[in-house]
Amino acid sequence: MELFKYLPQTNCKKCGYPTCMGYALALLQGKVKIEDCTPLVEEAKYKEKYEKLIELMGGEDGKEKELHIDIDEDLCDGCGICVTACPVNARFCPPTLSGKAPDVPHDKHQLFEVKDGKCVLLNLEHCRRLEAEGRERECHVCEIYCPREAIKIVYV
Amino acid sequence: MKMVLNTVRMIDHDQAREYTFGDSQSLKENLGIGYINPNDFEKLGLVKSLRVQLSNNYGQVIIKQEQKENVPEGIIIMPVSIWSNQVTGVENGEIIFKNIEVEVEATRDPVPDYKDLISKIKQD
Amino acid sequence: MERIPCTGCSLLCDDILIGTDGLFVDKIYGACLKGKERFDQVSSKNRLTSPMIRKSGNLENVSWDNALEKVKEILNASSKPLLYGFSTSNCEAQAKGIQLAKKINGFIDSNSVICLGKALNIAKETGITLTTLAEIINKTDLIVLWGSNAAESIPRLLNKILFSRGKFRMTGREIKTIIIIDPVKTASFGVMQLRDLALNIHTGKDLDLIRVLKEECCKEGSFPKEGVAGIDEEELKRLFLNLMGAENGVIFIGQGLLRPLPEVNVIKELFELVNLINLKQNKGRISVGLLGGHYNMFGFDQISLSLTGKNHSLQFSNNELVNTEDTIITKIEKDDFDCSIIVGTDPISHFPYSLSKKLASKPLIVIDNRKSATSDMAEIVLPSAITGIECEGLVYRFDHVPIELKKILNPPSGVLTDEEILNQIIQKIG
Repeated sequence: MELFKYLPQTNCKKCGYPTCMGYALALLQGKVKIEDCTPLVEEAKYKEKYEKLIELMGGEDGKEKELHIDIDEDLCDGCGICVTACPVNARFCPPTLSGKAPDVPHDKHQLFEVKDGKCVLLNLEHCRRLEAEGRERECHVCEIYCPREAIKIVYV
Repeated sequence: MKMVLNTVRMIDHDQAREYTFGDSQSLKENLGIGYINPNDFEKLGLVKSLRVQLSNNYGQVIIKQEQKENVPEGIIIMPVSIWSNQVTGVENGEIIFKNIEVEVEATRDPVPDYKDLISKIKQD
Repeated sequence: MERIPCTGCSLLCDDILIGTDGLFVDKIYGACLKGKERFDQVSSKNRLTSPMIRKSGNLENVSWDNALEKVKEILNASSKPLLYGFSTSNCEAQAKGIQLAKKINGFIDSNSVICLGKALNIAKETGITLTTLAEIINKTDLIVLWGSNAAESIPRLLNKILFSRGKFRMTGREIKTIIIIDPVKTASFGVMQLRDLALNIHTGKDLDLIRVLKEECCKEGSFPKEGVAGIDEEELKRLFLNLMGAENGVIFIGQGLLRPLPEVNVIKELFELVNLINLKQNKGRISVGLLGGHYNMFGFDQISLSLTGKNHSLQFSNNELVNTEDTIITKIEKDDFDCSIIVGTDPISHFPYSLSKKLASKPLIVIDNRKSATSDMAEIVLPSAITGIECEGLVYRFDHVPIELKKILNPPSGVLTDEEILNQIIQKIG
């Protein structure tokens, strides 16, 4: 991710997170402030990265943010790759295992469906980024596999 | 400037869709267009509001242009349409849709309407 | 809600869920944009709903009897009629088309002659290893897109074959490799990850790549140091390793590989390369997938093969098939026709200008469900039902598997199916 590039990437755990990647995610979600990474603030060799992070976060660090998955309707062509790739869909909707469209009415855990030729987000609360533990919280398969780059994961 | 024309399928620029749901105006806007690399855009001396004229021994056509990073230099890509077919032809009993040599230059003239192309085909 | 096959493209997805109120389809789950637009054609504003004849320069609505009478007039006055299209009609209508061509000593051809039907002809000489969609979904571990932009021409293809988890390869995307060979970095490149290979070949240089690979099959270590056609030596080695190490690989070919070269044939050399690879490698096999656009293009090849032994370009004379090297292109180019019947396609828009001009100079009879450039120039227009929604029938998927289409709505009143229209013409000319 963008923020991870400007961290020390040493996994020193001084911030309380086991990895810099985990800390970067918490920063994105507004759960921590930039100053919680003490080596970034104290050590002169990270000065440039510190300043860049302040610029990127724009004073928004420390403010709790919500997860949003934005789907650009003009770019989406209904290919359904997000429906098949999403691990939550794979667990609760058996037809997606062979690339088929899930049953209707949809399962209450289902995250994406393709209706009228466009992708629609259903139950965001079951997304791995909110419900899972550890590395699974960094799941972004819907965003990286969309061929038209129509899906964006943002924290607002 | 000599370039190579490839006519391709693009899901946003679909001739069948415009015939079914659109009209002659939307046909012209969505299909009378070509994409080129930004370096070629500069070499041709283009700005956003100019058009380009494509010509070869099969015919000639004027289309809108837009620059796109993913197009390699020396190539112009167009969606398959009645516009692109003004410069395609038959060689050895087969239609060629790709790797067609065209001469490209900037122009102020407008893109021909659907009606103009139809009358050109109809007249004796 | 019921699951029906979609006729948006040649993938013929059979998992589309639709809801209808009896007049229109109002809920569509699972279909991509192309499929959804196919269902929208039922109510499109450019739909043809009445037979029309050109009188004093303009098309006017007439009755079916009037229109068919005029068709009989034109056909009786012609000795060299052309029939073209048929790739958006079901197999029953295609068989009727061949029957009509035989009756009027006509020349009949389908879109496959300018598309991947050519590959089937070539396969008669070299042999071809085919595969089916179910095998690709469940077993494949290597996918190659050569000259094809699957993400924009058949949107759900990559979804079904690359991201599905299948029965024998349970972990899906992570263990499948995709290689795309294309001069332009298209949307299909967007699904690639680290293990995949993106080859931006120079346009028109596929033959050089095929020959270098053939050479490597026969004699190892023969890749040129400077690479070939814009692909460097490292990438060549990776490509070759992937092809040799695949347990079940598929190479999809599209329009990018079709071109007329005077001496050599790119597709023939590709099939020979696939045969060489299959001989040499012992882990599994590589097959070929032919990605055509229209949903029943291969149907005509199959029907024509089973009825006549030839898969396209049929010339009839005195109720018999005669030998000919002609295709629809050469017939129009030589002006060797005096009228044409166009079924479900739009050649005036799709052919080069020189051919469109010649086609438009003779009377055109058009059978279609919506207006097009060809119907704008026709002498007679006959409105037809939308197959797969208003008409059932048999069609063939891109992997030559037959699919039965369903009828879920009635066509607008006064509109007949392709098969009925062709049958009426046969009855009328007696």
